[in-house]
Amino acid sequence: MSGNLPHRPPVLRKPVVRTRRGLGGALPALIIVSLFFVVPVVALLLRSVTEPTPGLQNYAILFGDGTYARVFFNTFLVASIVTAVTVMVAFPVAWTLAIMPPALGSIVFGIIILSMWTNLLTRTYAWMVLLQRTGVINRTLMDIGLISEPLPLINNLTGVTIGMVYIMLPFMILPLVGTLRAIDPMTLRAAALCGASPLDAFRRILLPLSLPGIAAGGLMVFVMSLGYFVTPTLLGGTSNMMLAGMIAQMIQSLLNWGLGSAAAFILLVVTMALYALQLRLVGTQRVTGGV
Amino acid sequence: MTEPFLSIRNLRKTFGSFVAVHDVTIDIPKGEFLTFLGPSGSGKSTTLYAIAGFQDPTSGDVLLEGRSLLSVPSHKRNIGMVFQRYTLFQHLTVAENVAFPLRVRRRPDAEVNRKVAEMLSLVRLEGFGGRYPGALSGGQQQRVALARALAYDPPILLMDEPLSALDKKLREEIQAEIRRIHRETGVTILYVTHDQDEALHLSDRIALFRDGRIAQIGTGEDLYLRPACEFVASFIGNSNFLPAEHLQTTDGAATIRLADGSIVSGVKATQEFGQGQKTRLMVRPEAFRLRPGPATAGLAVEFIDAAFFGERRRVVARTSAGQEIDVRPPSDMANDHDETAQQSGQVFFDPAAAFLFPALQTT
Amino acid sequence: MLLDYDRLGWLRGALLAFTGLVAAFLLLPVVFIVLLSFGSSRWLAFPPPGWTLKWYEELFAEPAWLEAALTSARIATMATVLAVVIGLMASFALVRGKFRGRDAVRGLLLTPMVLPVVVFAIAIYAFFLRIGLGGTTAGFVIAHTVLALPFAIIPISAALEGFDKSIEDAAIVCGASPFEAKLRVTLPSIKIGIFSAAIFAFLASWDEVVVAIFMASPTLQTLPVKIWGSLRQDLSPVIAAASSLLVLLTLSLMIVTALIRRKLST
Repeated sequence: MSGNLPHRPPVLRKPVVRTRRGLGGALPALIIVSLFFVVPVVALLLRSVTEPTPGLQNYAILFGDGTYARVFFNTFLVASIVTAVTVMVAFPVAWTLAIMPPALGSIVFGIIILSMWTNLLTRTYAWMVLLQRTGVINRTLMDIGLISEPLPLINNLTGVTIGMVYIMLPFMILPLVGTLRAIDPMTLRAAALCGASPLDAFRRILLPLSLPGIAAGGLMVFVMSLGYFVTPTLLGGTSNMMLAGMIAQMIQSLLNWGLGSAAAFILLVVTMALYALQLRLVGTQRVTGGV
Repeated sequence: MTEPFLSIRNLRKTFGSFVAVHDVTIDIPKGEFLTFLGPSGSGKSTTLYAIAGFQDPTSGDVLLEGRSLLSVPSHKRNIGMVFQRYTLFQHLTVAENVAFPLRVRRRPDAEVNRKVAEMLSLVRLEGFGGRYPGALSGGQQQRVALARALAYDPPILLMDEPLSALDKKLREEIQAEIRRIHRETGVTILYVTHDQDEALHLSDRIALFRDGRIAQIGTGEDLYLRPACEFVASFIGNSNFLPAEHLQTTDGAATIRLADGSIVSGVKATQEFGQGQKTRLMVRPEAFRLRPGPATAGLAVEFIDAAFFGERRRVVARTSAGQEIDVRPPSDMANDHDETAQQSGQVFFDPAAAFLFPALQTT
Repeated sequence: MLLDYDRLGWLRGALLAFTGLVAAFLLLPVVFIVLLSFGSSRWLAFPPPGWTLKWYEELFAEPAWLEAALTSARIATMATVLAVVIGLMASFALVRGKFRGRDAVRGLLLTPMVLPVVVFAIAIYAFFLRIGLGGTTAGFVIAHTVLALPFAIIPISAALEGFDKSIEDAAIVCGASPFEAKLRVTLPSIKIGIFSAAIFAFLASWDEVVVAIFMASPTLQTLPVKIWGSLRQDLSPVIAAASSLLVLLTLSLMIVTALIRRKLST
């Protein structure tokens, strides 16, 4: 039943009578997306192999230069850290939300939605003020005597991590609540009667059963983090620039369209590959959930 | 006097203002198969959950060999349980499910493997060890659940309506399995069901629950042949209740007047009655005969409907007082005359097989 | 027992405490920014030495802020209407249609949500420069419609999948034209999906920063671009005042959403 992913059975399709039935409604959407999404993106990617001269030299530069390698490495590092922290913070919250009384839970859900719907720049601005050298967090820590010098919380990895985790948390918590609510509490009772201590029940039952949700959510957070522009640009430093920031800089400041579009192409390929993987994960989760 | 093996003492459980279990006391000897029978909401599952440790009772105690279980968390109670819904661990194979209780007890691999094989053969699922629960039928899943619950040799096995999700044929098949396993292992079983046939088929004793109390506890025969109250009489088996007026009782045998004016002597009084008190006479459908016997009482009826079921007839008749009664006399191979072919006639019953209950206070 | 709220023991206290902390973390910047906007310190000292409304006065004194807000509202409204109408038609095709490559079409229409915005931003920026739509309202509306489309299609498709088509067929059997049946039977049944689509599409445009940064011209900038520009200069408390108004808008949007959902679902 499971464990044979590479050999997926062919998708069974219903016999199609008329192959274009109902397509008409999708045409306006298809036209606008093709004309104003597909064409511009393909045109951009073409520039990566035509500017300044035809060839793959832009990619050679990107892969050959240590500066760019550091940006790639840093992008993956930040995305990995953000994903790991987000998963670890989101899981207990989702667990609590899945079982707590609805009246109390709806307050927490309200706070999550408020945070999610508040303007992105507003939230980032707040963190810039909170985390700066003379900001509230440093002042408070110094007042209670935990530190004597202000901690460098902004324009570095710490700042980016805090800001990004803040933005990503709702995207991890909300789907995980669904995953956890789908687990029958009786299963955990059975585990307890079988002799499993709370720790054993968590390690051997609850965690494995929520793993598909964790993997799908974690992958989504990872993909979103890889291409994020605003928060890393405002909260990160120049020494830990991420891919999206570098692409913007190449185009906006350096006007190097060839190199910028090559970097964009790399970001696109990585994102799409991970997205396909995520679809597959969610797909198999549906299959196993449907027994 | 030795301590009973498992003892439930004055158990009470309330949820807010709702009283789920009023006051339940039962002593259970080792190796017994005891069934909690009752309609839904009668407190039978709540009592079981208190034994399992899923809910703390409001008051009362549960003692195993004289020691209270209440302060022991579920995972240390060493009790086996099979649930109503399939609670197998979907991410583990059948063998891993059965091995789970042994793994969390940190038993050595050799013992785990031996025990898993033994359990799978006990529930007749040899060769299924490598499959995932999702690939099994409902009946097979419940058998795996049974193997998992017995793998660590618990002294007590709790079963919470384990067959309710299965179809009739599978139910009967697994009932036979459960009887066999009870015989082979000697485990003490507490079984919850709302199905009286299941209870009669499986149990040594039945505790019949009603509104958070035990209405009667005893063998199936006790409950069927000697019901303590009208509820027991109507819940176990089928029954007709005829309104009657109590005249007098001597040595437990009562004389009554039925609605049509006829007087019947020698019915079983289940309690003391005053003269002229309104009562109800319970006669089981299968206690009726179509022909008079040596000491039978007769009841004039109109035959409304009759069907032949081989071993017995099922007749719907109406008394002269206008009450419809259910009559199921056994077929008489020696005399194939069908009395119900007439429009009216008489049905007969032995007064010693009829029980007198007080009239219902509330309806 | 790990999923029984009443049987968690000390773990319940730990989980509740942790969730409370995370809720506080999520609430912190939002509350902080509102408090800050009333603080009298230009250097954003906290707690502020005194309270004042002067940042709001400065905000309203500068017409560029109001202008940017109006531009954002105009673009977001147009993008929302377009995305919901086009998304509604597309959803009917995706849910009910039986054409070859339906899954591929669905995937394509949802891709703008997945692709990193910065890639789309530079692509559409270059494209609009070439065809003369750069820095125009039309350009903004088109770009935001593309980005908002997935957010419209997902809730509408979900609502449509949950709707039993035989009810619509019954209306047609009763004599309604197919269009009339959709208008009078189907649309009212999926109104919550359409409403969610409108909210999400509006937020997708109203909050959009990256495309806007590239597309903005000195004469046409949206509110996020105005905030972005100010942020890169200094952390003026005027931004806190503008942000507080945005928080107020979010809150009212949440309340209106809750009210309308309650009304629509009855």
